[in-house]
Amino acid sequence: MNCDEINVWLDTLLEEINEIKVTRKSDRRVRVDVDASSLPALLELLKGKASYVHLSAISCVDWPDDEEFELVYHCWSYEAKSLLSAHTRIPRNSSEEFARYVSVYDIYKPAGFFERDIYEMFGIYFESSPFMEKFILTEWNGPPPMRKDFDAEAYVNETFNWAEYNPDWLQEITEEGGGIAIRPEDVRL
Amino acid sequence: MSKLGNIPVQAKSEKKRTNPLARVFDELIQFCQSRSMFMLHYCTGCGAIELPPAMTSRFDMERLGIQPMVTPRQADILLVTGYVSVKTLKRVILTYEQMQSPKYVIGICSCTVNGGMYWQSYATAKVLNEYLPVDVYIAGCMPRPEAVIMGLRRLMSNIENGKGNAWKDYYERYDYYLGNQQHLFGDDWQTPVDVIGEAKFYDLEGEETYGEHTRTLEQHQEPLEAAVMRVKL
Repeated sequence: MNCDEINVWLDTLLEEINEIKVTRKSDRRVRVDVDASSLPALLELLKGKASYVHLSAISCVDWPDDEEFELVYHCWSYEAKSLLSAHTRIPRNSSEEFARYVSVYDIYKPAGFFERDIYEMFGIYFESSPFMEKFILTEWNGPPPMRKDFDAEAYVNETFNWAEYNPDWLQEITEEGGGIAIRPEDVRL
Repeated sequence: MSKLGNIPVQAKSEKKRTNPLARVFDELIQFCQSRSMFMLHYCTGCGAIELPPAMTSRFDMERLGIQPMVTPRQADILLVTGYVSVKTLKRVILTYEQMQSPKYVIGICSCTVNGGMYWQSYATAKVLNEYLPVDVYIAGCMPRPEAVIMGLRRLMSNIENGKGNAWKDYYERYDYYLGNQQHLFGDDWQTPVDVIGEAKFYDLEGEETYGEHTRTLEQHQEPLEAAVMRVKL
């Protein structure tokens, strides 16, 4: 069976699942929008039956206006030579400490790594994921920093000081012919 | 007799220097020191890419007497090349405190001066000289090897003229540096190096060596224990 045949076969299969919207972007790209409750079943099917064995990433998008997080599971098939991205939306749970979703670690092992990262950056707790402790931001105690309602600039202004623009030692350098090449008032924006 | 950790050390004698040739020797020592520099490059950011050409045959730092060194305990210069995240800053401080005096810090790239292009980032420390005493900043994004060498030459001339004394400032105003470190890392921050003990040893205790932050350190300090060596049979 060549890869075009697999793609045709996959399209027919996906059309039979309920609450699913399949958009074929090109020969090698498929976008699937799926309800949050049926996403694990879809991934199980993709891995077991349709040769999508490689979960290359889980990305997360914050939609604060819709009060939702969008999770995108990028799955590759080496036989069909195509990328399938499964999109799903989960409630943002702004009133609580974190949003919740189910882990797909039992289907794809690398998911544990991505889920731990998303938990740290967006505050989505994945039930039954094996590693949920701190990962990269070991020194961080604030809110999840990649959420759009986290104001990084306000945090920075509150936490850090800025260097003086005209310190004394710079005047010595200016006298020697160095110093600031373009002053702020000369900058064209 | 004072104490450095648990080891008793002989303090410097109080008597004034009377030898008229002492200054001559000082100058000679400074001259020699400025021409024998071992550099530890802590490559945190993109500025590190300009160092290989500066060190190797194209620009050849070695003709100035500056060589890369692999361990902090044998190095004189700590070269921080690029942005320092809060997590990295802890490691930079640990590295710096392990170095032997006299020691010098050079901050390369705009990021060490004022956050650079990461000025908005929640995870990067902005002004390096709030946490460590920086001798020379080399601004630029990134500075070319010529600029790096110019900065190193400036450090050399500072040492030769007896102006490269930022490392003394770390002991004299330890409370200020420790306060900024505690602001980022929390009150229970401590390093394995007894900086106050070293300040006593070098006779560099100033009025600002002690303060509220060193008192906080004393409250949270846990005694360090030697690592136990075990042989598996």
